[in-house]
Amino acid sequence: MGKQYEIPVGAQHIALLEPLHFKFTTENEKIINTDANVYYVHRGIELACCSKFKFRQVSFVVGRVCGLCSISHTTAYSQVAEKLLKIEIPKRAKYLRMLVIELDRIHSHLLCLSHVAENSGFEALFMKTMQYREFSMELLEAVCGNRIQYDFSIVGGVSRDLKPQIADSIISRLKTFMPQLDELMDIYQHNWTLSLKNKGVGAITKQQAMELNLVGPFARAAGLSVDVRNETEDLLPWKEVGFEMVTETAGDVYSRNMIRLRELYVSIRIINNIINGLPEGDLITETKAFPEGEATVRLEAPRGELFYYAKGNKTQVLERLKIKAPTFSNVAGMVKGFEGNEYGSAPAIIASYDPCLSCTAR
Amino acid sequence: MKTFFKALGNLVKKPVTTKYPFEQTFIPDDYRGLIGFEESLCIWCRRCEAVCPPGAIVFSQDMEGKQTYHYNRAVCIYCGECVRACPKEGALFQTAEPGHCALKEENINNGWNKLFAEALESRELYAAEKKRKAAEKAAADKAAAAAKKESEGNSGTTA
Repeated sequence: MGKQYEIPVGAQHIALLEPLHFKFTTENEKIINTDANVYYVHRGIELACCSKFKFRQVSFVVGRVCGLCSISHTTAYSQVAEKLLKIEIPKRAKYLRMLVIELDRIHSHLLCLSHVAENSGFEALFMKTMQYREFSMELLEAVCGNRIQYDFSIVGGVSRDLKPQIADSIISRLKTFMPQLDELMDIYQHNWTLSLKNKGVGAITKQQAMELNLVGPFARAAGLSVDVRNETEDLLPWKEVGFEMVTETAGDVYSRNMIRLRELYVSIRIINNIINGLPEGDLITETKAFPEGEATVRLEAPRGELFYYAKGNKTQVLERLKIKAPTFSNVAGMVKGFEGNEYGSAPAIIASYDPCLSCTAR
Repeated sequence: MKTFFKALGNLVKKPVTTKYPFEQTFIPDDYRGLIGFEESLCIWCRRCEAVCPPGAIVFSQDMEGKQTYHYNRAVCIYCGECVRACPKEGALFQTAEPGHCALKEENINNGWNKLFAEALESRELYAAEKKRKAAEKAAADKAAAAAKKESEGNSGTTA
């Protein structure tokens, strides 16, 4: 047995994008044990939502939980509040919510892919992916009026309508993005230098994924077919707009990249279908009721299953709001994924998990 | 090899980044910018203040009952909830102008907190004053009614 070293990474580290602390126990550069500490950015948002803000204002507060999946949080909260109010939203609002969620998924997945490339030491590919990502940010800005905090879903519907010229520009920009995505797919799939850092690194088996209860692209890369879009139909009609499950089998960094790239094709198809079949109608269901009872909602955020629980007591302020972010479910899997890998591969593995700690700690 | 030729080709290509100070970046027509206010149309219902999530709008009131609108662009999140809540078309509107930076002289955070507290206090003072005046008026009316009744009673006895 060689000498063991403990190497801390984080909570602030140049290879880490998130305030996340890992303590690696290494032996001859191999990681044999990992400790993770994730609660560095607790902001007390749940308590603020149940004390300071009225239930209609909370959808703007939870949008600030996370910058990348802002729309997932606002939509999940809006849905849970609509369940408490016992209202049904117009079909057009549902379609517009799905449109923005999918545009958001495109930019989030491309961001994650670019960081995997960067942390694997491929700076040029990072730049290229970020350059191609810009179109999705501009489309989101055109649809929602803001690049990051969309504030698009509100309790009862959506806040803005989709203009016909913006719908046309989405279709044309997606058409120009398709060859770029093919190019990215080619590089991530066939580049030899990238494969050295990605193939067979940070692998998780299907059995482990099932035992550790993983969600999102992390689980789908290991062959576990879990996707909320495939399981629920009552709140957002995903199958109607052409959702298709994507899975890989290897469970390593490479297959996580592949999952994200192949999901982009699905997202593009969903967006095209939504715009071509956008139903006419109102944007919002008005009501003067107050939230009452308990409700839960699940929604597929870019990183996996997002869970919301809310309890109302017939007043303006909610009694309890609980947010469970996808990264929280994946922490156990993250720790497992490092085992037996070289310490030098750790940054790429961390980036491939796509951790979002500000969601997790709230 | 393909990558190598691509890299060579990139040497002669133009940069893809936008030349920001010389070229304007992309701003959509209905960008969510500053909130505008038209005083002549306002009906002073204070609904915008009630719905604003961060509390960027507050109305103060002087002793004559006249209200004044205060808005802080640094606190505002540009969600447009106030515009949706406004019952009078055109009194509140969202412009496409981005919120500009604050100067130190503006004292935009502490000054706003102070102004917010003062505005709420001024409304309370006006409400208390109104209540006091109403009570005074009611007492005066009561006294007048009693006096009238008494005088009527007196005249009744003398007649």
